[in-house]
Order: sequence, then structure tokens, then C-alpha cells
Amino acid sequence: MLLLQHLFSGIVLGCTYTLFSLGLTLIYGILGIVNYAHGELYMFGAFLAFYAALILKVNYFMAVVVATIGMAVLGYIIERAAFRPLRGYDDTSIIVATIGLSIFMQNLGIMIFGPDPVRLETVTADISVNIGGLTVGLQRIIVVVVTVALIVALNLFSQKTRMGKAMRACAQDLTAAKMMGININKVTITTTIIGAALAGIGGALVAPLYLVSPVMGIKVCTKAFAVVILGGLGNVPGAIFGGFLVGIAESITAGMISSHLRDVVAFAILVVALLFKPEGLFAKHMQEKV
Amino acid sequence: MKKEFLVYIAILVVALMFPVLVDDVYIMHTGVLAFIYILLATGLNLLTGYTGQLSLAHASFFGVGAYTSAILTVTYGWGFWPAIIASAVLAGVCGIFLGFPALKLKGPYLVMSTIGFVHITHELFLNWVSVTRGPMGITGIDFPPGFNLGEFAVDFSNPHHYFYLVLFWVVIVFIFVYSLINSKMGRGLKAIRENDIAAECLGINLKSYKLFAFSIGALFAGIAGSLYVHYIGYVSPDSFTLAESINILVMVILGGMGTLLGPIFGAVGITFLLENMRFLAEYRLIIYGIILMLIMFFAPGGLMGYVLKFTAGRNNEKLKMVQEDE
Repeated sequence: MLLLQHLFSGIVLGCTYTLFSLGLTLIYGILGIVNYAHGELYMFGAFLAFYAALILKVNYFMAVVVATIGMAVLGYIIERAAFRPLRGYDDTSIIVATIGLSIFMQNLGIMIFGPDPVRLETVTADISVNIGGLTVGLQRIIVVVVTVALIVALNLFSQKTRMGKAMRACAQDLTAAKMMGININKVTITTTIIGAALAGIGGALVAPLYLVSPVMGIKVCTKAFAVVILGGLGNVPGAIFGGFLVGIAESITAGMISSHLRDVVAFAILVVALLFKPEGLFAKHMQEKV
Repeated sequence: MKKEFLVYIAILVVALMFPVLVDDVYIMHTGVLAFIYILLATGLNLLTGYTGQLSLAHASFFGVGAYTSAILTVTYGWGFWPAIIASAVLAGVCGIFLGFPALKLKGPYLVMSTIGFVHITHELFLNWVSVTRGPMGITGIDFPPGFNLGEFAVDFSNPHHYFYLVLFWVVIVFIFVYSLINSKMGRGLKAIRENDIAAECLGINLKSYKLFAFSIGALFAGIAGSLYVHYIGYVSPDSFTLAESINILVMVILGGMGTLLGPIFGAVGITFLLENMRFLAEYRLIIYGIILMLIMFFAPGGLMGYVLKFTAGRNNEKLKMVQEDE
């Protein structure tokens, strides 16, 4: 029963990692940018939800909606101000520039929101439901339900809509997609907005569960890197699988073995995966063009 | 005598005169730290600039060097000189340890796994309490023993004197890197950076060359770590985080990757810039982040990239054409 309890917390944790990694992997797949500032989007999302609930006095669901819209706007700004100028640059410049963006946003967060952690008080955080002897917080159930709904929605979007198809085309080959008359700028903006919104929702969803602070993004971000590498960069199903795998492994290790190991698990999985399958668990075998 | 040697000697003379001309202890203190960062940046430059393996794990090796030195001198009573050698060797071994999984990786995969490595070593420093004393850190690390130079007593607790000790190591490392990159080995490393598959076809052993670059880069960081703890007298896990790695990488990139002098200017520039921006208080890192982004947008080649553009003149035009052809 204890194992089941840890398993469930692992799934909740996995939801956060998945929402986070989806944006990361989408942005890499289409823009070719590893967004080191993704953790800051997550942090801003959590704070937006917190302040929406505090200042606008809206209920929790409205707060999440406000955070999502806010993050979509922020995603648009970031695409125009940072990602678009970086198009066509080499890996090193992109990495350092997004690290710069991350430092900027994180310290902006410290300046605006203050360095102290806060907690978003909601009704849902206090209610527990008993499912077959398993005590589960309502907020955690909400996290899982929303995540699953978002994954389904994202899948429908990419399979059924015109923009979704354009995104998949761009992920395969940006130049070819351009020649087919796809508006690349529209696609990159949509991708960044979706990625930022997903990270923001992730932040808003965990705001009632964990502490909200300007540095909350970094730790999740580095673990999410492990997740996306595990699944293969740019690979959406891989990110989902990796997110849940890392979340569950982390939760069970912390609960059953030692909580000191909590932060090491993701990286240990990462190292093992890199040693044996460096192109990711889900990647098709890639032949390098010479 | 080649023109570049005059430049090196001029820089060395400036460095030698620096403690004589500067009275202020605080500026001198910043100078010592800046020169320790030169060691770190030069090591990373060998790996990232010359061999093209972008790594964010340099703070780990810095930390391994620092902890080795601290533990050996405080717990086991070793002297400074054996401890610094041991630090360098152990950090070099850790470099090989990271190098093995990193051999297969490229681009963002490599960067992310080196980030993972930083977190693993940070957790190790933090949680292996019986050896590292965990978050409390290790205190009471002595300055290296002084000695008498004729009439003059050298006392390393004085930053003015310690500076020369750091400079000594910087010169050794610089000479080593200079002779390395002008050797067959160095050309091999540069070939790997330009195109690893072509380099392998030409008979360069990718595995051993990359491992060599990882271990030497880490070894320099080990020396820097040892010099750092003996100067500060205290070591704690928080000095060796990802932020530190980013700092070192920024120094290399800002100075100019794959140039000999780039990391030197980068390290001195960034260290003094960050110190002088302290009056900005909480705005400091916000501005630092913006500066990083702007540099990458407008001058991805770093400072030395600009210098080379002006000095190389027409040759550079040709180089540019070749690069554009690719």
C-alpha cells in the first residue's frame, strides 16, 4: 500500500515533468533551440497563478487560466525578442543566450516577487479522497486529470489541425516545410506559445502542492533535461514516457530508499541511458549525414 | 622572434607589475580570483574552444580539486605542494570519468549530460558528510607556507604575494597549452572540433584525443580548485554549482573560444565586471543576463573574434569565404 502511495505521488510528479518536458521538446524539435530558460516559464506560471488568486481574488481554476494566458503572451514575447534573432546561430551561441535569458528571468522573478517562497492556498489542496484505502489529495487528482487532458488535446491538435500538421512538417525538415509554403514564423510562434503555456500550466498546477519561489524552476529544468534526453530530444511520446518514468522512479526512491537520493535519481537514469542508448529510448536509429 | 611573443611578454610584464602598482587589498583580492579563473577558463577553452566539446561540468572539477586539497591538508595533514598535485591528478581522473559517457555525445546531449554531472557532484559534496562535512563545509585551511627570498619574506596570507603563486601556475599552464596546440596533438584536437568524422578518417583516434582533452581541462580546474581553497581558507558545496560552470563558460566565450588569450581577457574581464557591478545590488544579475544575450546576438566570436578581425585583415576575408562555403 505504501508502494502504491509512492507510485501515485510519482505519477503526480511525472505529470509536472511531462508538461514541462513537452514544451522543451517541442521547442527543440521545431526551433532547434534548447531552452534553458524553460524553468523560468514554469516559475512565472506558478507566480502568476498565485498573484491572480491573491490580487484578482479569482478562484483556483480562473487563476490557472490567467496563468496560462499570461504565459502564452510571455511565450510570444520571448519568441520575438530572443528565439527569432537566434535562428541559424550555432549551438554554443544558442545555449549561452538562453542561459542568459534564464539568469535574466530568474533574477527578474526575484526582484518582482521577492526571494521568499510562498504557497498558494486553495480549497482543493486540503481535501483528500479515499480511493480503495489510498488517501489522495484532490489537488493531485486535478494535476493528473489536467495533464492527461492536455496530452490528448495536444495530440489532437497536432494530428487534426492545419497548424499542427505544419508544426510536424517543420519538425521533420524546416527548409522543406518552408518551400511547401508553410509560414515558418507563425509555426515557431505557435510552438513557443504552446511550450510556454504548458510550462505555465505545470507551474500553476503544482503551486498549491509545493512552495512557489523564484528558484523553483532550475531544479525541475535540469531534471526535465534528463527526461527529454531519455525520450530523445524533439520526441513527444518520448518526453511523456520519460516524464512519468523519472517522476515515478524519483518518488519511489525517495520514499522507499532515502530522500537524500531524490535529486540524484533523474541523473543516474540519465547517465545509464546515455551509456547504452545515447540517442534516446524512443529515437529511431539516426544515420548521420556526412 | 614572432610578433605574438611580444604580445605575450607584454601581458606577462603587466601581470607581474600588477601587485606592485596596486595598493588596494580589495582590488588585489579580485585580481587573485581573476587569475584563478584564468586557469579554469583556459582548461575549459582547451576542451570547448579547441576540441569543440561544449561542457558545463567545469565547476565539478573545480570542486573536486578544492575538496581534495582541503581534505588532504586539513584531515590528513598534507603540505600544500603535494596536495595541489594530488588535486590536479584526481580532477584529471574525474575528467576521464566524465569523458567516457561523453565520448558518444554531441551538441545539446553533451551539454545536458555535463549539467547532470555538475548536479551529481554537487549532491555528492552535499551528502557525503563523513568526508566532505556536507553543507557545513571544511574550514581552517591554511595558506601555503611562506619562505624567505633573500631578505624578502614571502607571506602567502597577503593577496599581493599570493597573486604571484597563482601567476606562476597560470604561466605554466599557458606554456603547456601553447606548446600543446602547436603540436600534432593540438592540431588533432582542432580537427575534431572542425569535423570529427573527417578527423577520424584521417587517422585521429577520437576516443583518446577527446579523453585527453577532458582530463587535461579537468586537471587545470583541479589546480585552480586547490589554489582557491588555500586562498579562501574555506570550502562549501555551494561554490561548485551550475552557476559557476556557466560563469566559466561565459568567460571562455566572451574572451573568444579557441584562442590563447581569449580566456585570459574573458576571466579578468568578467571577474572585475561582476565585482564592479556590486553597487547595482539586485539588478546585477538581471543586467548580466541581458549582457550575455546581447553578446551572443551581436558578437558570437567573443572579444578575440573582434581583435582577430582587425589584425588578420585580408586573410580573415578569405577565411570567412571558406567558412561560408561550407
